[in-house]
Amino acid sequence: MAQQANIGELLSMLDSPVLSVRDDVTAVFKENLSSDRGPMLVNTLVDYYLETDSQPVLHILTTLQEPHDKHLLDKMNDCVGRAASRLPALSLLGHVIRLQPPWKHKLSQAPLLPSLLKCLKMDTDVIVLTTGVLVLITMLPMIPQSGKQHLHDFFDIFGRLSSWCLKKPGHVTEVYLVHLHASVYALFHRLYGMYPCNFVSFLRSHYSMKENLDTFEEVVRPMMEHVRIHPELVTGSKDHELDPRRWKRLETHDVVIECAKISLDPTEASYEDGGDSVSPQVSARFPHRAADMAASPYIDTQNSCGSATSTPYSSSRLTLLHTPGQPPQALSPPSTRLLTEPPQATLWSPSMVCGMTTPPTSPGNVPPDLSHPYSKVFGTTGGKGTPLGTPATSPPPAPLCHPDDYVHPSVLQTTATPPRKEERTDSSRPCLHRQHHLPNDRGLELSGGKGSVTLSDLPGFLGDLASEEDSVEKDKEEAAISKELSEITTADAELLVPRGGFDSPFYRDSLPGCPRKTHSAASGAQGASVNPEPLNSSLDKLGPDTPKQAFTPIDLPCGGASDSPAGTREHQTPLETSILTPSPCKIPPQRGVGFGRGQPPPYDHLFEVALPKTAHHFVSKKTKELLKKAKGNTEEDYPPSASPVEVLDRLIQQGADAHSKELSKLSLPSKSVDWTHFGGSPPSDEIRTLRNQLLLLHNQLLYERFKRQQHALRNRRLLRRVTRAAALEEHNAAMKDQLKLQEKDIQIWKVSLQKEQARSSQLQEQRDTMVSQLHSQIRQLQHDREEFYNQSQELQTKLEDCRNMIAELRLELKKANSKVCHTELLLSQVSQKLSNSESVQQQMEFLNRQLLVLGEVNELYLEQLQNKHSDTTKEVEMMKAAYRKELEKNRSHLLQQNQRLDTSQKRILELESHLAKKDHLLLEQKKYLEDVKLQARGQLQAAESRYEAQKRITQVFELEILDLYGRLEKDGLLKKLEEEKAEAAEAAEERLACCKDGCSDSVTGHNEEASGHNGETKPPRPGGVRGGGGSRGSGSGELSTPEKPPSQRAGPFSSRWETTMGESATSIPTTVGSLPSSKSFLGMKARELFRNKSESQCDEDSVTIRSLSETLKTELGKDPGTEGKAPLSLDGPHPSPPTPDSVGPLHIMDYNETHHEHREG
Amino acid sequence: MTEDSQRNFRSVYYEKVGFRGVEEKKSLEILLKDDRLGILPPHHESHAQVMLWRKEQYGDILHALKVVRFVSEATPQVEVYLRMYQLECGKLPRSPSFPLEPEDEVFLAIAKAVEEMVEDSVDCYWIIRCFVNQLNNKYRESLPQLPKAFEQYLNLEDSRLLSHLKTCSALCKLPYDLWFKRCFAGCLPESSLQRVWDKVISGSCKILVFVAVEILLTFKIKVMALNSAEKITKFLENIPQDSSDAIVSKAIDLWHKHCGTPVHSA
Repeated sequence: MAQQANIGELLSMLDSPVLSVRDDVTAVFKENLSSDRGPMLVNTLVDYYLETDSQPVLHILTTLQEPHDKHLLDKMNDCVGRAASRLPALSLLGHVIRLQPPWKHKLSQAPLLPSLLKCLKMDTDVIVLTTGVLVLITMLPMIPQSGKQHLHDFFDIFGRLSSWCLKKPGHVTEVYLVHLHASVYALFHRLYGMYPCNFVSFLRSHYSMKENLDTFEEVVRPMMEHVRIHPELVTGSKDHELDPRRWKRLETHDVVIECAKISLDPTEASYEDGGDSVSPQVSARFPHRAADMAASPYIDTQNSCGSATSTPYSSSRLTLLHTPGQPPQALSPPSTRLLTEPPQATLWSPSMVCGMTTPPTSPGNVPPDLSHPYSKVFGTTGGKGTPLGTPATSPPPAPLCHPDDYVHPSVLQTTATPPRKEERTDSSRPCLHRQHHLPNDRGLELSGGKGSVTLSDLPGFLGDLASEEDSVEKDKEEAAISKELSEITTADAELLVPRGGFDSPFYRDSLPGCPRKTHSAASGAQGASVNPEPLNSSLDKLGPDTPKQAFTPIDLPCGGASDSPAGTREHQTPLETSILTPSPCKIPPQRGVGFGRGQPPPYDHLFEVALPKTAHHFVSKKTKELLKKAKGNTEEDYPPSASPVEVLDRLIQQGADAHSKELSKLSLPSKSVDWTHFGGSPPSDEIRTLRNQLLLLHNQLLYERFKRQQHALRNRRLLRRVTRAAALEEHNAAMKDQLKLQEKDIQIWKVSLQKEQARSSQLQEQRDTMVSQLHSQIRQLQHDREEFYNQSQELQTKLEDCRNMIAELRLELKKANSKVCHTELLLSQVSQKLSNSESVQQQMEFLNRQLLVLGEVNELYLEQLQNKHSDTTKEVEMMKAAYRKELEKNRSHLLQQNQRLDTSQKRILELESHLAKKDHLLLEQKKYLEDVKLQARGQLQAAESRYEAQKRITQVFELEILDLYGRLEKDGLLKKLEEEKAEAAEAAEERLACCKDGCSDSVTGHNEEASGHNGETKPPRPGGVRGGGGSRGSGSGELSTPEKPPSQRAGPFSSRWETTMGESATSIPTTVGSLPSSKSFLGMKARELFRNKSESQCDEDSVTIRSLSETLKTELGKDPGTEGKAPLSLDGPHPSPPTPDSVGPLHIMDYNETHHEHREG
Repeated sequence: MTEDSQRNFRSVYYEKVGFRGVEEKKSLEILLKDDRLGILPPHHESHAQVMLWRKEQYGDILHALKVVRFVSEATPQVEVYLRMYQLECGKLPRSPSFPLEPEDEVFLAIAKAVEEMVEDSVDCYWIIRCFVNQLNNKYRESLPQLPKAFEQYLNLEDSRLLSHLKTCSALCKLPYDLWFKRCFAGCLPESSLQRVWDKVISGSCKILVFVAVEILLTFKIKVMALNSAEKITKFLENIPQDSSDAIVSKAIDLWHKHCGTPVHSA
């Protein structure tokens, strides 16, 4: 309890006007919260807030840390459940979520969301509904994935509320309905932007029902006319848009921008266009340069600033910017509604933009920081603009370097006179009008019709306007085409604005009763134009009209400022209006300043509010009301350090309080303008209505502010890209410089390369000449070498010939030697035999002689015997003895003869065995011969096949040649090519010959050899016939080199040959040749031996052997001429007749002859 | 078995070396008596010389063909052999684009097989050339007789199969060309083909008949299962190669059985 009481005390202390106390208490609470985890304190705080609307408590609640979020949500859920606390709870929820606490993702799971949805579905209070819908719309981009569960709830809410807009169940005030309508439009926008497929299918199903058709026609369709086709409708699907992954990469502000993109609303869409779609063209440096804003760089900067103005700074800054900016409108029509401020533009720099884009997002922690570049910038601009002026009028409490947000209020505070109620209404009214006509040609209408309306006409005019309250649709249509017309409108606006400016002073003059109306209108229109002189620097450029316009209103406010010291509150109101007016969408309203004099129908402006760009209206309206109600109502407890937003909020609240307080004093503007004018008391209902309207407007303002914060976030990101791009560009430039340097290098290298090339070409030439010289030398040397080679070839061939000759001669020598040896052997044998037979012959001769002598003795003895018969016995005996002796002698002789016979027989046997050996040798020779023959045949076959192949090749070549000739002839080139043809033919023949030679070389060589041997033998033959040995020499000469004439060197060989042959012809053959001629056994054998040989030669055509045998024969044969017949003659009984040469020696040999001679002899 | 045991235990080795009988001297003489293909003469001394000539002849022909642009680097080796052979026979067509004669196809099939067996292109060419020459000259009369002999032996071995073939009228449509003209080139793998061709080169073209018979016997079940002559022919043209070694071995046994052992022993 003590603690409770303590808390209660502390709570009450929170609202203490002393700043330090408040801070202390806040710190205490925060400490408590960090230490205490229970829900108690939070619940108390919430309760307290719901009760008192205390700002510090709200501040504490909105900055609650993690563990308390659940308690807060539970508590709020609780409160939402109760009808009584529903509205404040919802507004608290709105405050909390607009600050985007770190635990915002928990919202989707919190029970608060379903209960909020339920409340939206069930509740019938328009204010609750509007607040709830705005909260929901704010919440949706933070928890896009919750669409999966609650999508149909969203749609149902939309369906319900849209039908509400039309059907107006119960006694709902029109004023509220307009707010509701606006929020429904915003909901429509959000749902369509986030879940197009699902939403469209919902629309299709929901509005296909007959009972909903009216709602569709009246409410939904106009909304649909303000959006373009969502790309997701083409590329996405129902499931895809609910996919959490799709949302994961999108931040809250991304979602907001996404939703804004699909709007066709000129203002909304204009920033969207500038926001993303155009940025690539402008290389992201001026992300907000929309297509229609391309007029001047100032505009760009202005845009970038303006769009970044979610923070209080920017809003306050805009007041400044806006004031000078309005005149430029007159001068630069293409700049349209956006203000161009030259000073601002000149000050602009990327760094400044960067600075500007980094303001703290949450208004809570916005202590103005002077060191920040943006603050400096704005400070200077402010210094240029307002601050310069302020000193003149009143001493500003804030120094010049003070942050804008602070400076401006102060400036305004000092400069602006406390406007009166009437003025406020007036000023607000024009604002409303402006907003009303802002989007489009409505402004034109007004310029035409209403622009000229004077104060006297005003009431009627206002009545007209009131009658137009239901022309929302019309407005929207006009808004749709406003883009196209924007240029025209701006052009008109230029005209109108000054007029308005003139009008107001005029009006004031003519109607002194309400002089401040003009002032307030002017001040509302151009809050900062309060200080015209300082602004002149910028205004000079703007044309002559603007200064006037600026001046007129200012004078009075200045005066008024001193009148009413309590103007703080009220001073801020103009500020507020101006704060909001400068934003792109709010500029047009100012055009209408001059026209919207009359009291507008109370809800008229709400149609504008219903459109997304409502905040400014809202504020202006609020200001109006506040000014009306709270004029003179001063609250001094305004904390100087509070941010403008807080100030604003507080202002509104206090305005509401003032309103209730002043209710009794002042009449309120209501539907019936008359009441206000005539001081009639308005019904109490009206008061409530107005209060609620205020609440609603506040809600919407907060919503719009939230939106702007999202834009600021986005801008910051975009500008980060800008800096990065700039850095990259600089990098590019550096790279380009490097490139240039390198190109220079390359040039230098190229020059040196050329030099080197020239030098190398020179060297090349030198080398070439050297090479050609060397080549010629080489050619010379080669020629020499060839000559030498040829010579050596010649010599070589000669040497070869000689060698061949020598080899042949050696071979022949060998043969001859062997023959000589053989014959010698034979000769020795024969001579031995001869000597034997000679001795035998001699013995026989001797014996024969003895026999003869003994025969004669015997005859003699016989005669003696006959003569001497008497001694016959004696004689007989003697004869007997003699016979015996002789018999014995004969016997021994016989024995001797027998022995001799034995020896000869032995000898014969020996010779026979010899013969057998020879036969065997011969056989072997034959075999070998056959072998060689086979080998030769194999080779011959191979050679033949080669020859055949060559022949075929030649044929093919000939065929080819003929073919080619044929073609040549065909081509008609015959004449030209005739010579060539002949040549080619020759070449072909030559080649053919060569080929033949080549292939048959070995064969013919063989044949030549053979024929050479033949030739060798033949020439001697005739020589032999002639008996001349000399002719052989030439024969042998021919034989050695058949092709060539016998060289002189052959001479010695031939002569030697001659001699040897001569010798053999003279001496040896005779002895050997006697063998065949002899009829002895030996001769017979020898003959047989030779016959075999010759026979075998006859059988086989082995050339070498034949030639050998033939040479043998010719050498051995006595008659070479009959050599061919030799085999035949050998068989014959008689040997050939001996030549005269051989007769002599044969005598010795001829056994029979000698015997015969002996006989004869 | 009995026959095997009766044979000299060395006969297996002898057969591997190419001897039919155990009397190696006689067998050697018979073997070395003549050159079966006529590429090299029997005399060892002239081998180098003759081989050089053969090489030169090969080179000359190849060169000639290149000169007349009949062959190029891109021509497949087998076709080069064919063109060379045609040139040697004087049958070289006027243009390489002329269609091939059936005998050329035979040559190509044999050449392809020989190319697989022999690495050196000169040897390869000469072997192809002489082998084809042998087929064209030595076996000119006997090759056309082979189908009849085939029928006869098949009848002896398996008359049921023969009658099946006859009923399918496949007998006259059997791939005789593949078997006897190409000597199984392209039908059997080269390793098996070598063993068959050894016999053919040695002078027995009858071995072809036995290989054919053995092929039919080996694939008897499949052949019996097929009923149309076309299918049988198609199957026989593309017999599976895995059993070819066994087929050849059996075919040689069959050959021994029907023609007695060595030809040269007779």
